[in-house]
Parts: sequence; C-alpha cells; structure tokens
Amino acid sequence: MNKRAGIGFYIFLVVFVFFVMFPFIWVFLTSIKPPGEIFNNFNWFTADPSLASYENAITNRPLFRYMWNSFVVSTLTTLIAIGFASVAAYALTRLPIRFKGVILGIILAASMFPQIAIISPIYNFVTAVGLRNSYMGLVIPYITVSLPLAIWILATFFQKIPWELEESAKLDGASPFQTFRKIIFPLAAPGVFTTGILVFIAAWNEYLFALTINTSDEWRTVPVGISFYQSQFTIPWGDISAATVLVTIPIVILVLIFQRRIVAGLTSGSVKE
Amino acid sequence: MKFQLNEKQLGYAMVAPALILVILVTLWPVAQSFYNSLFDYRLNDPSRSERFLSSNMDLERYANDYFYLSRDLEALEGQAPDPDDAAAVAEISQEFEAYHAELLEMDGLAEQYEEVEGMIASFTAIADRDLKYASVENDWAEGFKAFLDDASEQLTTISQNTENEEFSVTAGNVAGSLDSVNTAVIESNFIGFDNYQRYLTDGRMWQSMGNTMLFTIVSVFAELVLGLMIALLINRAFVGRGIVRASVLIPWAIPTAVAAMMWGFLYDGQTGIVAHYFEQFGLIDDASVLLSTGAGGMFSVIFADVWKTTPYMALLLLAGLQTIPGSLYEAAEVDGAGKMQQFWKITLPLLKSSILVALLFRTLDAFRVFDLIFVLTGGGPANATESISIYAYITLFSQSNFGAGSVLSVIVFISVAIISTLFIKFIGSDLFAGKTGR
Repeated sequence: MNKRAGIGFYIFLVVFVFFVMFPFIWVFLTSIKPPGEIFNNFNWFTADPSLASYENAITNRPLFRYMWNSFVVSTLTTLIAIGFASVAAYALTRLPIRFKGVILGIILAASMFPQIAIISPIYNFVTAVGLRNSYMGLVIPYITVSLPLAIWILATFFQKIPWELEESAKLDGASPFQTFRKIIFPLAAPGVFTTGILVFIAAWNEYLFALTINTSDEWRTVPVGISFYQSQFTIPWGDISAATVLVTIPIVILVLIFQRRIVAGLTSGSVKE
Repeated sequence: MKFQLNEKQLGYAMVAPALILVILVTLWPVAQSFYNSLFDYRLNDPSRSERFLSSNMDLERYANDYFYLSRDLEALEGQAPDPDDAAAVAEISQEFEAYHAELLEMDGLAEQYEEVEGMIASFTAIADRDLKYASVENDWAEGFKAFLDDASEQLTTISQNTENEEFSVTAGNVAGSLDSVNTAVIESNFIGFDNYQRYLTDGRMWQSMGNTMLFTIVSVFAELVLGLMIALLINRAFVGRGIVRASVLIPWAIPTAVAAMMWGFLYDGQTGIVAHYFEQFGLIDDASVLLSTGAGGMFSVIFADVWKTTPYMALLLLAGLQTIPGSLYEAAEVDGAGKMQQFWKITLPLLKSSILVALLFRTLDAFRVFDLIFVLTGGGPANATESISIYAYITLFSQSNFGAGSVLSVIVFISVAIISTLFIKFIGSDLFAGKTGR
C-alpha cells in the first residue's frame, strides 16, 4: 500500500474536507447576511455583513435557555452514567464473577433498544411521578441510552490496564476496593473521561425523549428548540442559520480539544486488539 | 480461598446496580409496551384512558349520579300526568334500584362505595385509582348497560309524546342522567391481538416499513462503500491529520435535529443552495423537487444521513485498518500480488469483523431513524419518507392512541431484535473479545 502522500492526495483531502464542511460554511455565510438578502439570492458573500440574524435568533426564542437546559441534562446524565458504569465495568473486566457474557449481552441488547419501543411507558411513568417539564424527567430516560454505552466503552478501556500493578497492590495487602480507588481509577481516568465526553454528546443530541417529555418551551433542549424555530407559515432561515452556528460552536470546541480521545473512544468498542 | 469468595461477592455487588437500572429502564418498558398493545387504550378518551382487564365502574361518577338520579326518578313518577307513564317510570326506578343493590352486594363494594360517597360529600377529588375504579362482574355490567340504554330510550319517547311540558323537560333530563351513568360503567378494553391484526394488514404500516428498509439499506450501503474508500485513502501518514479528523468528527458530533434543519435550508426550493446547484447542473428539473416529491424527499433524507454518518464509518474502519500489520502487505508485494489482490486477499478478510460490527451498529441506528426524517420532511410529502418510528410516534402522541401505537413500537422492537440476532450470528463471539478478560 502506498503510504506516501503526493499532491493528488492533498487535492483529494481539500475537496473531501470542503464537501464535509460545506453545509457549515454555507450556514455561517447565511447567518451573517442581512435578513433581506437571504431569499432568492445565491451569492456566497455579502457586501454588508450583519449580526441581525443573531439578534433575532436569541430574542425570538430562548436559545440560551435551551443551551443551559441541554447542558444541565447532559451533565447530570453523564455523572450518573459514569458513576454506575465505572463500578460495573471494573467488576466485569477484573473480578472473577460468572455470567460475564450474559451480562454484557444484556447491556449490548439494551444499547440496541429502539427508543420508540420504550417511550410510551416511560412517558406514562414520568407523567405519573410529576416529572414532565423538568431536568430529572429527561435524565431518567437518558439512562437507557447512556448507561449501556458507558459500560461498553469503559469495559474496553479497563481491559487495557496492565494486570501487574493490580497484582502487586493485592500482594501489598490492598483490598479490592482500595485497588480500584488507588490503582485502577487513576490509570483508568483517561478512559473514564473519554467515555464521559461520548455520553455527554449522546445526551446532548437526544431528540425523541426531549420532544415528548419536555413540551413546555422553557424546558426544551437544543435539538428540540432548534426544530421549533420554524412555524406553520414562515421559515426564518436567517434566525435558524444563526441559531445553528451558535449551538454548533460549543461542539466544535469540544471536538477540537478532545478529538484524539473521541476517536479512541468511538473505535474502542468496535475493533479487536 | 476466602479472599477469592469475597472478591466474587463484591463483583456481583458492583455489577448489580447498573444491571438493575438497565433492566428497569429498558426491559420493563418493553414489557409494558407489549401489555399496552393488547388494549384499546387511548389517552384522549375517558372511557379508554386506562387499561381494564375486566369491566369497571367509575365509582366517583356513579355515586354522584346515583344520588341525583334516584331522587329524580321518584319525583318524575309523581309528576307523571298519565298513569301508563307513571307505571313505566316506576318500573325503571325499581329496576335501577335493583341493579344498585346488586352492585353493593359485590365483594367489598359496599365499603368502597361508602368511602367514595363520603369523599364526594366533602367535595374531595379522588386521586387514588384503586378507590375511584371498582372492578365489577362482566355480566352485571353488560346487563346494567343494556338496561340504561333501554330506559333512556323509553324516557325519551315518553318525553316526546307527552302533552305536559314540565313533565317532558324533566323526563328528558332524567334520560340524560341515565346516559351519564352509562358512561360510568366501563367495559373491559382488553382486545388481545386485534390491534396486531389491524396493523399487520395496514397499508400505511407496510409503506412506512418499506420506507425504513429502503432508507436503511441504501444509506448504510453507501456509507460503508464511501467510508471504506475514505479510510483506505487516509490510512497513511500525512500533514494535517488533525484537521481532517476534526472535520470528520464535527458532522458526527452535532445533533441530528440541527443537521436536519441545516439540510432543510440547503434543500429548500426557493433559498436552498444545494437544490439550486442540483438544478443548475441538470440533476433535477426544478429546485423544488427535492422536498416536494416522494423520490426527492427520500433522496434528500438519505443524502443528509450519508453526509452525517460516512465520516464516522470511515473512522471505525480506519481504526480497523490500522491493526493490520504492514508486514503482510510487504510479504504480498514480494510475492508479486497486485494492489487489487492485496485488497481482496488481505485487507477485506482482516477487516471483516470491524466491518460487521460497524454494520451492526449502523443498521440498527438507521432502522430506528426518527429525528432526521421528523425534522427534515416530517415524514412527507404524502408519507413518502415516513419511517416506522415516525408512524409509531404519530399514533402514540399525535393521536394519543397508546394501544395501537404500542403495536407499532413492538413491531419496531421485534424487527430490531431480528436484525441484531442475524448480525450477531455472523460476528459471533468477536463482539465480546477483549472485554471479559481472563
């Protein structure tokens, strides 16, 4: 296989990156056009950049409230999922328990559950305990998505931690719990952190539960909030472009900082070592 | 030995909370969905908003109505100008009291009824379902309902035929009260597999199933081929890996709903640049085709999904490629194998498990597609892009029909179970490799 990168290869790369990024570029260019210039006009650049769309985007709809809601829900979900999952994944990879295959099978099956199959009982439950339009009303169903995902990825990370350290800690008289806290956890911290990012993104992006359970505007999350910018009769593309840019910025920052970790986390569950 | 046992117990204790949570939030709701699907269960219809295995009586309503009705019937009898009418009313009144007496004779009903009456007298709304509803004998409920229908009809006729205006109005009112009592008697809405029969022969169900399969097969196949090509091309050292990796991750990381809104703008018949360029290049006749025709809608949805997910697929496959030792290719080179031969004989077989795992996750994801289509086309035009999840969502939450919607949910669940079983048969134990340890 040719591992040298020639000029043709770089041209391909530029074209590829351009195609992937094109929707973002176009939406960004639209967001800084004056609202009147958006319709029936396919000029790439505007002569008269304006922030009017941004102003409309945050005044017509509580966009920052949506972002705050998403942030709180995703953070709570991540903390709960990581808490339960790290303990379970440690036991699954390290302790001599039986039925590991069965347990992992159940967890994998749970991560494959179609959300539509569980939404109506969850909706009934959340309504019955009075958690509609609240943060916990979303955090509880999000466990279905996040917990199996977290266990699955963490199990792979924990497996890679060298055994010898644990053995020597045991010889020195450390209890299994001490071993976990003092040896495994610090070594596993990067993996836990990576898993946290992935769970956070998964919770941030969830749509179906957020749409169904938090129906009042002030409790909507970003994905649902964005999809409600369009009304029956008009579609304010300027507002939508600006809102899209605003909600994409935090994700772009997250991806730019943690790209290596994210790739490691994404691929850990699917590749045999 | 003792230490070993403790370690084992600790292990179970550590797995248990997560496992119980997973089971509670997934298996229990699926079981509930299946149970719901056996009922004619509609949230927007008071007589069907609960699941009743047997006939039931809304005691709160009944006690309230009974109090007035029993008094009004007596008064009506006295008012009747014609002895025939008086006799008819007396007979209704008698029979009504007889049914009432029979009701109170049922197991524990007398006490429950008394409690409900007490709460009504003190104007307390009854929140406790077990108190509000009493299970009653099916035969009794059927007989009582038939009697109420009859009596109400009889009184209506009397009210229409009588000359006495005052008597006519009262008789009409009493007939109305009888109808009201009728709605307090709730017959069982357990219908078994009737919902399934209905939806398995429903054209819209099969159309949405067909849409879902078309979407899944085409988009996953395109993502696999394109993803594999990209992975093969970028599997080398080059300057700017970071930029490529970031640009590949961003479409994956943004919410699908946001991506769908963006593509909705790009495809728009008037302002959409993609629609505009497609028209300019002669790919479509008119810019509006993309979102206003069935084929255009399906293409748009698949294209947006391919854009969002191919980079992710490429990443998974790239990671698989990087585990193939370079020495294999060197050896093949020495043996005189061409590039194509190397691909078919080395790359593809060694990549097989990576490809299958990626395919499994992608197929399941694509099959339950909801947000992309829901936001981009809403299932339209004319249901041409409606996926099975969207049909289920509309039945559940737009029509508030939880019984029928649950049937569709269960159908999605069973399809997903079949797909995963097939895949896992192919992948085998590789899926768990490197996870269970010693």
